[in-house]
Amino acid sequence: MTDLRRSPLHDRHVALGAKMADFGGWSMPIEYPGGGVVAEHTAVRERVGLFDVSHLGKARVSGPGAAAFVNACLTNDLRRIGPGQAQYTMCCDESGGVVDDLIQYLRADDDVFLVPNAANTAEVVRRLAAAAPEGVLVEDRHEGYGVLAVQGPRSDEVLRRLGLPTDHDYMSFVETTWDGLPVIVCRTGYTGERGYEIIPAWDVTASVWDALLEAVRAEGGLPAGLGARDTLRTEMGYPLHGNDLSLDITPVMAGAAWAVGWDKDTFWGKDALVAQRVAKDGRLMRGLVVTGRGIPRSHCAVRDASGALVGEVTSGTFSPSRKQGIALALLDRSVTLGDEVVVDVRGRDVAATVTRPPFVEAGVRSS
Amino acid sequence: MSDLEYPAGLRYTAEHEWLRTEGDTVRVGITAFAQEALGDVVYVSLPAVGDSVAAGDTCGEVESTKSVSDLYAPVSGEVTAVNPALDATPELVNTDPYGEGWMYELRPADSADVDALLDADAYTAQLS
Repeated sequence: MTDLRRSPLHDRHVALGAKMADFGGWSMPIEYPGGGVVAEHTAVRERVGLFDVSHLGKARVSGPGAAAFVNACLTNDLRRIGPGQAQYTMCCDESGGVVDDLIQYLRADDDVFLVPNAANTAEVVRRLAAAAPEGVLVEDRHEGYGVLAVQGPRSDEVLRRLGLPTDHDYMSFVETTWDGLPVIVCRTGYTGERGYEIIPAWDVTASVWDALLEAVRAEGGLPAGLGARDTLRTEMGYPLHGNDLSLDITPVMAGAAWAVGWDKDTFWGKDALVAQRVAKDGRLMRGLVVTGRGIPRSHCAVRDASGALVGEVTSGTFSPSRKQGIALALLDRSVTLGDEVVVDVRGRDVAATVTRPPFVEAGVRSS
Repeated sequence: MSDLEYPAGLRYTAEHEWLRTEGDTVRVGITAFAQEALGDVVYVSLPAVGDSVAAGDTCGEVESTKSVSDLYAPVSGEVTAVNPALDATPELVNTDPYGEGWMYELRPADSADVDALLDADAYTAQLS
Protein backbone atom coordinates (compact mmCIF):
# COMPACT_ATOMS: atom_id res chain seq x y z
CA MET A 1 0.00 0.00 0.00
CA THR A 2 3.01 2.29 0.30
CA ASP A 3 3.41 3.13 -3.35
CA LEU A 4 -0.22 3.97 -4.17
CA ARG A 5 -0.53 7.19 -6.13
CA ARG A 6 -2.44 10.06 -4.56
CA SER A 7 -5.05 12.43 -5.91
CA PRO A 8 -4.40 16.17 -5.52
CA LEU A 9 -7.28 16.00 -3.00
CA HIS A 10 -5.78 13.27 -0.84
CA ASP A 11 -5.44 15.55 2.19
CA ARG A 12 -9.03 16.75 1.73
CA HIS A 13 -10.35 13.17 1.77
CA VAL A 14 -8.30 12.25 4.83
CA ALA A 15 -9.52 15.40 6.63
CA LEU A 16 -13.13 14.43 5.82
CA GLY A 17 -12.48 10.98 7.31
CA ALA A 18 -13.09 9.11 4.04
CA LYS A 19 -12.48 5.38 3.81
CA MET A 20 -9.63 5.13 1.34
CA ALA A 21 -8.85 2.13 -0.85
CA ASP A 22 -6.68 1.07 -3.77
CA PHE A 23 -8.42 1.86 -7.04
CA GLY A 24 -6.33 1.13 -10.13
CA GLY A 25 -3.13 1.81 -8.20
CA TRP A 26 -4.48 5.01 -6.64
CA SER A 27 -5.53 5.64 -3.05
CA MET A 28 -9.07 6.99 -3.52
CA PRO A 29 -12.13 7.66 -1.32
CA ILE A 30 -14.67 4.82 -1.28
CA GLU A 31 -17.18 6.54 0.99
CA TYR A 32 -17.40 9.44 3.44
CA PRO A 33 -18.59 9.57 7.07
CA GLY A 34 -22.09 10.98 7.34
CA GLY A 35 -22.83 9.45 3.97
CA GLY A 36 -22.05 5.87 3.09
CA VAL A 37 -22.61 4.21 -0.27
CA VAL A 38 -26.41 4.18 -0.14
CA ALA A 39 -26.82 7.79 1.05
CA GLU A 40 -24.24 9.05 -1.45
CA HIS A 41 -25.89 7.09 -4.25
CA THR A 42 -29.30 8.48 -3.32
CA ALA A 43 -27.93 12.03 -3.15
CA VAL A 44 -26.74 11.70 -6.76
CA ARG A 45 -30.04 10.24 -8.00
CA GLU A 46 -32.21 12.77 -6.16
CA ARG A 47 -30.04 15.88 -5.63
CA VAL A 48 -26.33 16.09 -6.37
CA GLY A 49 -23.00 14.51 -5.46
CA LEU A 50 -19.38 15.55 -5.87
CA PHE A 51 -16.80 12.93 -6.85
CA ASP A 52 -13.04 13.16 -7.03
CA VAL A 53 -12.10 11.11 -10.09
CA SER A 54 -8.63 12.59 -10.50
CA HIS A 55 -7.26 9.05 -10.70
CA LEU A 56 -8.66 8.90 -14.25
CA GLY A 57 -5.95 9.21 -16.86
CA LYS A 58 -5.40 12.23 -19.07
CA ALA A 59 -3.49 12.19 -22.32
CA ARG A 60 -3.10 14.61 -25.18
CA VAL A 61 -2.60 13.78 -28.83
CA SER A 62 -1.56 16.85 -30.80
CA GLY A 63 0.00 17.93 -34.05
CA PRO A 64 -1.14 17.95 -37.68
CA GLY A 65 -3.59 15.10 -38.29
CA ALA A 66 -3.90 14.22 -34.59
CA ALA A 67 -7.66 13.59 -34.80
CA ALA A 68 -7.32 11.50 -37.96
CA PHE A 69 -4.59 9.48 -36.29
CA VAL A 70 -6.70 8.81 -33.16
CA ASN A 71 -9.63 7.94 -35.41
CA ALA A 72 -7.52 5.31 -37.16
CA CYS A 73 -6.67 3.69 -33.80
CA LEU A 74 -9.69 3.86 -31.46
CA THR A 75 -13.07 2.29 -32.24
CA ASN A 76 -15.62 5.11 -32.34
CA ASP A 77 -15.88 7.48 -35.28
CA LEU A 78 -14.54 10.92 -34.40
CA ARG A 79 -16.02 12.28 -37.63
CA ARG A 80 -19.43 11.99 -35.98
CA ILE A 81 -18.57 14.88 -33.64
CA GLY A 82 -17.11 18.35 -34.01
CA PRO A 83 -14.72 20.47 -31.96
CA GLY A 84 -16.10 21.01 -28.45
CA GLN A 85 -17.70 17.59 -28.35
CA ALA A 86 -16.75 14.38 -26.56
CA GLN A 87 -17.33 10.74 -27.39
CA TYR A 88 -17.10 7.36 -25.67
CA THR A 89 -14.66 5.08 -27.45
CA MET A 90 -12.48 2.03 -26.96
CA CYS A 91 -8.88 1.11 -27.49
CA CYS A 92 -8.89 -2.46 -28.78
CA ASP A 93 -6.14 -4.96 -29.33
CA GLU A 94 -5.83 -6.49 -32.81
CA SER A 95 -7.55 -9.54 -31.28
CA GLY A 96 -10.64 -7.37 -30.68
CA GLY A 97 -10.23 -7.43 -26.90
CA VAL A 98 -10.50 -4.14 -25.07
CA VAL A 99 -7.29 -2.56 -23.77
CA ASP A 100 -9.36 0.26 -22.31
CA ASP A 101 -12.55 2.25 -22.72
CA LEU A 102 -12.15 6.01 -22.65
CA ILE A 103 -13.63 9.39 -23.50
CA GLN A 104 -12.13 11.38 -26.37
CA TYR A 105 -12.55 15.16 -26.35
CA LEU A 106 -12.13 16.74 -29.78
CA ARG A 107 -10.63 20.21 -29.26
CA ALA A 108 -9.48 20.67 -32.87
CA ASP A 109 -8.33 18.54 -35.78
CA ASP A 110 -4.83 18.77 -34.36
CA ASP A 111 -5.71 18.40 -30.66
CA VAL A 112 -7.50 15.49 -28.95
CA PHE A 113 -7.72 15.07 -25.19
CA LEU A 114 -8.21 11.53 -23.86
CA VAL A 115 -9.47 10.33 -20.49
CA PRO A 116 -8.66 6.62 -20.08
CA ASN A 117 -9.02 4.53 -16.91
CA ALA A 118 -6.36 4.99 -14.24
CA ALA A 119 -4.82 1.55 -14.49
CA ASN A 120 -4.73 1.53 -18.31
CA THR A 121 -3.48 5.01 -19.12
CA ALA A 122 0.16 4.09 -19.49
CA GLU A 123 -0.70 1.24 -21.86
CA VAL A 124 -3.03 3.35 -24.02
CA VAL A 125 -0.39 6.05 -24.24
CA ARG A 126 2.29 3.47 -25.05
CA ARG A 127 0.25 1.97 -27.91
CA LEU A 128 -0.67 5.37 -29.36
CA ALA A 129 2.87 6.72 -29.06
CA ALA A 130 4.29 3.64 -30.78
CA ALA A 131 1.91 4.09 -33.71
CA ALA A 132 1.99 7.89 -33.99
CA PRO A 133 3.25 9.27 -37.29
CA GLU A 134 5.94 11.90 -37.54
CA GLY A 135 4.65 15.21 -36.15
CA VAL A 136 1.92 13.75 -33.92
CA LEU A 137 2.79 13.97 -30.23
CA VAL A 138 1.25 11.65 -27.60
CA GLU A 139 1.68 12.93 -24.04
CA ASP A 140 0.74 11.25 -20.77
CA ARG A 141 -0.69 14.09 -18.66
CA HIS A 142 -1.96 11.88 -15.83
CA GLU A 143 -0.84 14.33 -13.16
CA GLY A 144 -1.42 17.39 -15.31
CA TYR A 145 -5.08 17.72 -14.40
CA GLY A 146 -7.57 16.82 -11.70
CA VAL A 147 -11.09 15.62 -12.58
CA LEU A 148 -14.11 16.52 -10.42
CA ALA A 149 -17.54 15.12 -11.26
CA VAL A 150 -20.68 17.00 -10.23
CA GLN A 151 -23.53 14.58 -10.84
CA GLY A 152 -27.24 14.71 -10.17
CA PRO A 153 -30.38 16.67 -11.08
CA ARG A 154 -29.16 19.75 -9.18
CA SER A 155 -25.77 19.87 -10.93
CA ASP A 156 -26.66 23.02 -12.84
CA GLU A 157 -27.48 24.89 -9.63
CA VAL A 158 -24.09 23.88 -8.22
CA LEU A 159 -22.19 25.11 -11.27
CA ARG A 160 -24.18 28.35 -11.40
CA ARG A 161 -23.12 29.08 -7.82
CA LEU A 162 -19.55 29.15 -9.14
CA GLY A 163 -20.46 31.07 -12.27
CA LEU A 164 -19.54 28.09 -14.46
CA PRO A 165 -21.31 27.46 -17.79
CA THR A 166 -24.21 24.99 -17.72
CA ASP A 167 -26.13 25.34 -20.94
CA HIS A 168 -24.11 23.10 -23.25
CA ASP A 169 -25.32 19.83 -24.76
CA TYR A 170 -24.78 16.35 -23.36
CA MET A 171 -21.26 15.11 -24.29
CA SER A 172 -19.99 18.58 -25.11
CA PHE A 173 -17.46 20.74 -23.27
CA VAL A 174 -16.57 24.38 -22.74
CA GLU A 175 -13.14 25.78 -21.92
CA THR A 176 -13.49 28.62 -19.44
CA THR A 177 -11.97 30.06 -16.28
CA TRP A 178 -12.95 30.00 -12.62
CA ASP A 179 -11.36 32.52 -10.29
CA GLY A 180 -8.82 33.19 -13.00
CA LEU A 181 -7.95 29.51 -13.39
CA PRO A 182 -8.47 27.67 -16.68
CA VAL A 183 -11.00 24.82 -16.34
CA ILE A 184 -12.73 22.56 -18.84
CA VAL A 185 -16.41 21.95 -18.07
CA CYS A 186 -17.66 18.78 -19.73
CA ARG A 187 -21.27 17.62 -19.77
CA THR A 188 -20.17 14.05 -19.08
CA GLY A 189 -20.14 11.57 -16.23
CA TYR A 190 -20.60 7.92 -15.41
CA THR A 191 -23.62 7.89 -13.11
CA GLY A 192 -26.53 8.13 -15.54
CA GLU A 193 -27.57 11.49 -14.10
CA ARG A 194 -27.37 14.94 -15.58
CA GLY A 195 -23.99 16.30 -14.60
CA TYR A 196 -20.61 17.69 -15.39
CA GLU A 197 -16.96 16.76 -15.16
CA ILE A 198 -14.68 19.69 -14.39
CA ILE A 199 -11.02 19.49 -15.33
CA PRO A 200 -8.69 22.02 -13.64
CA ALA A 201 -4.92 21.94 -13.57
CA TRP A 202 -3.66 19.36 -11.05
CA ASP A 203 -2.14 21.93 -8.69
CA VAL A 204 -5.31 24.02 -8.32
CA THR A 205 -7.79 21.14 -8.13
CA ALA A 206 -8.14 21.52 -4.36
CA SER A 207 -9.41 25.11 -4.54
CA VAL A 208 -12.00 24.14 -7.19
CA TRP A 209 -13.03 21.16 -5.01
CA ASP A 210 -13.48 23.41 -1.97
CA ALA A 211 -15.78 25.77 -3.87
CA LEU A 212 -17.74 22.93 -5.47
CA LEU A 213 -18.16 21.08 -2.17
CA GLU A 214 -19.58 24.17 -0.51
CA ALA A 215 -22.01 24.61 -3.40
CA VAL A 216 -22.95 20.91 -3.40
CA ARG A 217 -23.73 21.01 0.33
CA ALA A 218 -25.76 24.20 -0.17
CA GLU A 219 -27.85 22.27 -2.73
CA GLY A 220 -28.47 19.44 -0.29
CA GLY A 221 -25.84 17.17 -1.82
CA LEU A 222 -22.91 15.14 -0.51
CA PRO A 223 -19.34 14.33 -1.39
CA ALA A 224 -19.57 10.86 -2.94
CA GLY A 225 -16.96 8.13 -3.11
CA LEU A 226 -16.11 5.50 -5.67
CA GLY A 227 -18.39 3.01 -3.88
CA ALA A 228 -21.43 5.02 -4.94
CA ARG A 229 -19.93 5.61 -8.38
CA ASP A 230 -19.84 1.83 -8.79
CA THR A 231 -23.46 1.24 -7.75
CA LEU A 232 -24.58 4.18 -9.93
CA ARG A 233 -22.74 2.97 -13.03
CA THR A 234 -23.89 -0.61 -12.50
CA GLU A 235 -27.52 0.52 -12.35
CA MET A 236 -26.97 2.16 -15.75
CA GLY A 237 -25.28 -0.94 -17.18
CA TYR A 238 -22.14 1.09 -17.88
CA PRO A 239 -19.14 -1.25 -18.13
CA LEU A 240 -16.15 -1.14 -15.81
CA HIS A 241 -12.91 -2.12 -17.50
CA GLY A 242 -11.39 -5.10 -15.71
CA ASN A 243 -14.87 -6.46 -14.97
CA ASP A 244 -17.18 -5.99 -17.96
CA LEU A 245 -14.55 -5.16 -20.56
CA SER A 246 -11.13 -6.78 -20.90
CA LEU A 247 -8.76 -8.26 -23.42
CA ASP A 248 -11.10 -11.28 -23.36
CA ILE A 249 -14.32 -9.28 -23.72
CA THR A 250 -14.81 -7.48 -27.04
CA PRO A 251 -17.11 -4.51 -27.75
CA VAL A 252 -19.38 -6.91 -29.68
CA MET A 253 -19.77 -9.13 -26.61
CA ALA A 254 -20.15 -6.15 -24.28
CA GLY A 255 -23.07 -4.69 -26.22
CA ALA A 256 -20.91 -1.71 -27.17
CA ALA A 257 -21.09 -2.08 -30.94
CA TRP A 258 -22.64 1.41 -30.94
CA ALA A 259 -19.22 2.76 -29.89
CA VAL A 260 -17.52 1.24 -32.94
CA GLY A 261 -17.19 3.12 -36.23
CA TRP A 262 -17.85 0.09 -38.43
CA ASP A 263 -17.68 2.23 -41.60
CA LYS A 264 -14.17 3.47 -40.88
CA ASP A 265 -11.34 2.25 -43.11
CA THR A 266 -9.37 1.09 -40.13
CA PHE A 267 -9.13 0.97 -36.35
CA TRP A 268 -7.30 -1.41 -34.06
CA GLY A 269 -9.05 -4.76 -33.91
CA LYS A 270 -11.34 -4.08 -36.87
CA ASP A 271 -10.79 -7.38 -38.66
CA ALA A 272 -11.38 -9.48 -35.56
CA LEU A 273 -14.44 -7.49 -34.52
CA VAL A 274 -16.04 -7.55 -37.96
CA ALA A 275 -15.49 -11.32 -38.11
CA GLN A 276 -17.04 -11.81 -34.68
CA ARG A 277 -19.97 -9.59 -35.54
CA VAL A 278 -20.68 -11.46 -38.79
CA ALA A 279 -20.27 -14.88 -37.17
CA LYS A 280 -22.53 -13.86 -34.24
CA ASP A 281 -19.87 -15.40 -32.09
CA GLY A 282 -19.15 -15.11 -28.39
CA ARG A 283 -21.26 -14.52 -25.30
CA LEU A 284 -23.30 -11.32 -24.89
CA MET A 285 -23.55 -8.89 -21.99
CA ARG A 286 -26.98 -8.98 -20.37
CA GLY A 287 -28.54 -7.62 -17.24
CA LEU A 288 -29.73 -9.81 -14.38
CA VAL A 289 -32.34 -8.71 -11.87
CA VAL A 290 -32.52 -10.90 -8.80
CA THR A 291 -36.06 -12.10 -8.15
CA GLY A 292 -35.27 -13.82 -4.86
CA ARG A 293 -32.85 -12.78 -2.14
CA GLY A 294 -29.13 -12.27 -2.59
CA ILE A 295 -26.53 -10.26 -4.42
CA PRO A 296 -24.63 -11.63 -7.41
CA ARG A 297 -20.93 -10.78 -7.47
CA SER A 298 -18.38 -10.89 -10.27
CA HIS A 299 -17.34 -14.41 -11.37
CA CYS A 300 -20.52 -16.05 -9.99
CA ALA A 301 -21.62 -18.81 -12.39
CA VAL A 302 -24.99 -18.46 -14.15
CA ARG A 303 -27.06 -21.57 -14.97
CA ASP A 304 -30.26 -22.05 -16.89
CA ALA A 305 -33.40 -23.76 -15.60
CA SER A 306 -31.97 -27.17 -16.47
CA GLY A 307 -28.79 -26.50 -14.52
CA ALA A 308 -26.53 -26.05 -17.53
CA LEU A 309 -23.78 -23.43 -17.25
CA VAL A 310 -24.71 -20.50 -19.51
CA GLY A 311 -22.42 -17.71 -18.37
CA GLU A 312 -20.74 -15.67 -15.68
CA VAL A 313 -21.43 -12.48 -13.75
CA THR A 314 -18.98 -9.67 -14.57
CA SER A 315 -20.31 -7.01 -12.16
CA GLY A 316 -22.91 -7.40 -9.46
CA THR A 317 -24.16 -5.28 -6.64
CA PHE A 318 -27.11 -4.27 -4.56
CA SER A 319 -29.09 -1.61 -6.40
CA PRO A 320 -29.84 1.17 -3.91
CA SER A 321 -32.51 2.54 -6.27
CA ARG A 322 -34.35 -0.77 -6.78
CA LYS A 323 -33.40 -2.30 -3.44
CA GLN A 324 -32.52 -5.64 -5.01
CA GLY A 325 -29.54 -7.44 -6.45
CA ILE A 326 -28.56 -6.58 -10.02
CA ALA A 327 -25.74 -7.77 -12.22
CA LEU A 328 -24.11 -7.57 -15.60
CA ALA A 329 -23.32 -11.01 -16.95
CA LEU A 330 -21.80 -12.51 -20.08
CA LEU A 331 -24.30 -15.14 -21.23
CA ASP A 332 -24.47 -17.65 -24.07
CA ARG A 333 -26.43 -16.44 -27.08
CA SER A 334 -28.99 -19.19 -26.44
CA VAL A 335 -30.19 -17.22 -23.40
CA THR A 336 -32.79 -14.61 -24.29
CA LEU A 337 -34.30 -11.59 -22.59
CA GLY A 338 -36.91 -12.59 -20.04
CA ASP A 339 -35.36 -16.00 -19.34
CA GLU A 340 -35.21 -17.16 -15.73
CA VAL A 341 -31.71 -18.17 -14.65
CA VAL A 342 -29.97 -19.14 -11.43
CA VAL A 343 -26.85 -17.42 -10.12
CA ASP A 344 -24.52 -19.49 -7.96
CA VAL A 345 -23.76 -17.06 -5.14
CA ARG A 346 -21.12 -18.84 -3.05
CA GLY A 347 -22.96 -22.13 -3.33
CA ARG A 348 -26.46 -20.71 -2.87
CA ASP A 349 -28.89 -20.58 -5.80
CA VAL A 350 -30.25 -17.09 -6.39
CA ALA A 351 -33.00 -16.75 -9.01
CA ALA A 352 -32.76 -13.90 -11.52
CA THR A 353 -34.41 -12.65 -14.70
CA VAL A 354 -32.40 -11.80 -17.82
CA THR A 355 -32.96 -8.17 -18.86
CA ARG A 356 -31.52 -5.42 -21.00
CA PRO A 357 -29.76 -2.71 -18.97
CA PRO A 358 -30.14 0.01 -17.77
CA PHE A 359 -31.74 -1.04 -14.52
CA VAL A 360 -32.99 2.48 -13.85
CA GLU A 361 -33.95 5.20 -16.30
CA ALA A 362 -31.11 7.47 -17.41
CA GLY A 363 -31.34 11.15 -16.56
CA VAL A 364 -28.28 12.33 -18.49
CA ARG A 365 -30.17 14.26 -21.14
CA SER A 366 -32.90 15.63 -18.86
CA SER A 367 -33.05 19.32 -18.13
CA MET B 1 -20.45 6.45 13.62
CA SER B 2 -17.09 7.91 14.61
CA ASP B 3 -17.56 7.16 18.30
CA LEU B 4 -17.92 3.40 18.25
CA GLU B 5 -19.26 1.83 21.41
CA TYR B 6 -18.66 -1.57 22.99
CA PRO B 7 -21.14 -2.11 25.85
CA ALA B 8 -19.60 -3.50 29.01
CA GLY B 9 -22.21 -6.18 29.72
CA LEU B 10 -21.58 -8.13 26.50
CA ARG B 11 -19.15 -10.85 25.44
CA TYR B 12 -17.19 -10.52 22.19
CA THR B 13 -15.28 -12.63 19.68
CA ALA B 14 -12.21 -11.78 17.63
CA GLU B 15 -14.50 -12.15 14.58
CA HIS B 16 -16.35 -9.02 15.75
CA GLU B 17 -19.51 -10.63 17.07
CA TRP B 18 -21.18 -9.80 20.38
CA LEU B 19 -23.24 -12.01 22.70
CA ARG B 20 -25.78 -11.01 25.34
CA THR B 21 -26.96 -13.67 27.78
CA GLU B 22 -30.73 -13.67 28.26
CA GLY B 23 -31.78 -16.55 30.52
CA ASP B 24 -30.64 -19.84 28.98
CA THR B 25 -30.04 -18.34 25.52
CA VAL B 26 -27.63 -15.81 24.09
CA ARG B 27 -28.44 -13.15 21.52
CA VAL B 28 -25.77 -12.64 18.83
CA GLY B 29 -24.97 -9.69 16.59
CA ILE B 30 -21.98 -7.93 15.04
CA THR B 31 -20.07 -5.14 16.72
CA ALA B 32 -20.01 -1.45 15.91
CA PHE B 33 -16.51 -1.97 14.52
CA ALA B 34 -17.75 -4.68 12.15
CA GLN B 35 -20.71 -2.72 10.80
CA GLU B 36 -18.53 0.35 10.33
CA ALA B 37 -15.95 -1.67 8.42
CA LEU B 38 -18.62 -3.30 6.22
CA GLY B 39 -20.42 -0.09 5.33
CA ASP B 40 -24.12 -0.06 4.44
CA VAL B 41 -25.51 -3.52 5.18
CA VAL B 42 -27.97 -4.50 2.46
CA TYR B 43 -28.52 -8.22 3.01
CA VAL B 44 -28.24 -10.60 5.94
CA SER B 45 -28.42 -14.37 5.59
CA LEU B 46 -29.12 -16.12 8.90
CA PRO B 47 -29.20 -19.75 10.10
CA ALA B 48 -32.56 -21.49 10.49
CA VAL B 49 -34.26 -21.91 13.84
CA GLY B 50 -33.45 -25.42 15.07
CA ASP B 51 -30.03 -25.57 13.38
CA SER B 52 -27.23 -27.01 15.48
CA VAL B 53 -24.00 -25.12 15.11
CA ALA B 54 -20.48 -25.79 16.36
CA ALA B 55 -18.22 -22.98 17.54
CA GLY B 56 -16.44 -21.49 14.53
CA ASP B 57 -18.96 -22.79 11.97
CA THR B 58 -20.02 -20.44 9.22
CA CYS B 59 -23.68 -19.88 9.92
CA GLY B 60 -24.63 -16.89 7.81
CA GLU B 61 -23.49 -13.89 5.80
CA VAL B 62 -23.64 -10.13 6.07
CA GLU B 63 -23.41 -8.23 2.81
CA SER B 64 -22.81 -4.56 2.23
CA THR B 65 -22.95 -2.77 -1.10
CA LYS B 66 -19.32 -3.63 -1.68
CA SER B 67 -18.42 -6.76 0.25
CA VAL B 68 -19.62 -9.87 2.01
CA SER B 69 -18.54 -11.29 5.37
CA ASP B 70 -19.29 -14.64 6.94
CA LEU B 71 -20.98 -14.98 10.31
CA TYR B 72 -19.27 -17.49 12.60
CA ALA B 73 -21.02 -19.28 15.44
CA PRO B 74 -19.32 -17.94 18.58
CA VAL B 75 -20.15 -21.02 20.65
CA SER B 76 -21.72 -24.42 20.01
CA GLY B 77 -25.46 -24.71 20.47
CA GLU B 78 -28.90 -24.68 18.89
CA VAL B 79 -30.43 -21.71 17.07
CA THR B 80 -33.62 -20.69 18.87
CA ALA B 81 -34.59 -17.48 17.08
CA VAL B 82 -33.55 -15.19 14.22
CA ASN B 83 -34.27 -11.48 13.82
CA PRO B 84 -37.13 -11.30 11.30
CA ALA B 85 -36.73 -7.53 10.89
CA LEU B 86 -33.40 -7.87 9.06
CA ASP B 87 -35.08 -9.27 5.96
CA ALA B 88 -36.80 -5.98 5.18
CA THR B 89 -34.55 -3.59 7.10
CA PRO B 90 -30.96 -4.89 7.10
CA GLU B 91 -29.74 -1.33 7.74
CA LEU B 92 -30.67 -1.88 11.41
CA VAL B 93 -27.29 -3.61 11.65
CA ASN B 94 -25.68 -0.21 10.97
CA THR B 95 -28.01 2.01 12.92
CA ASP B 96 -28.45 -0.13 16.05
CA PRO B 97 -25.92 -2.99 16.04
CA TYR B 98 -26.49 -3.97 19.70
CA GLY B 99 -30.25 -3.45 19.70
CA GLU B 100 -32.69 -3.76 16.80
CA GLY B 101 -29.87 -4.99 14.59
CA TRP B 102 -29.36 -8.27 16.49
CA MET B 103 -29.04 -11.37 14.31
CA TYR B 104 -29.98 -14.63 16.00
CA GLU B 105 -30.28 -16.41 19.36
CA LEU B 106 -28.57 -19.61 20.45
CA ARG B 107 -29.03 -22.01 23.34
CA PRO B 108 -25.37 -22.75 24.18
CA ALA B 109 -24.37 -26.37 24.69
CA ASP B 110 -22.26 -25.16 27.62
CA SER B 111 -22.76 -21.69 29.10
CA ALA B 112 -19.13 -21.73 30.28
CA ASP B 113 -18.17 -21.30 26.61
CA VAL B 114 -19.84 -17.89 26.65
CA ASP B 115 -18.07 -16.77 29.80
CA ALA B 116 -14.76 -17.74 28.22
CA LEU B 117 -15.16 -15.21 25.38
CA LEU B 118 -13.66 -11.70 25.42
CA ASP B 119 -15.06 -8.95 27.62
CA ALA B 120 -15.38 -5.40 26.28
CA ASP B 121 -11.92 -4.37 27.49
CA ALA B 122 -10.23 -7.40 25.96
CA TYR B 123 -12.14 -6.93 22.68
CA THR B 124 -11.30 -3.25 22.33
CA ALA B 125 -7.69 -3.94 23.30
CA GLN B 126 -7.27 -6.32 20.36
CA LEU B 127 -8.87 -3.81 17.97
CA SER B 128 -6.04 -1.35 18.41
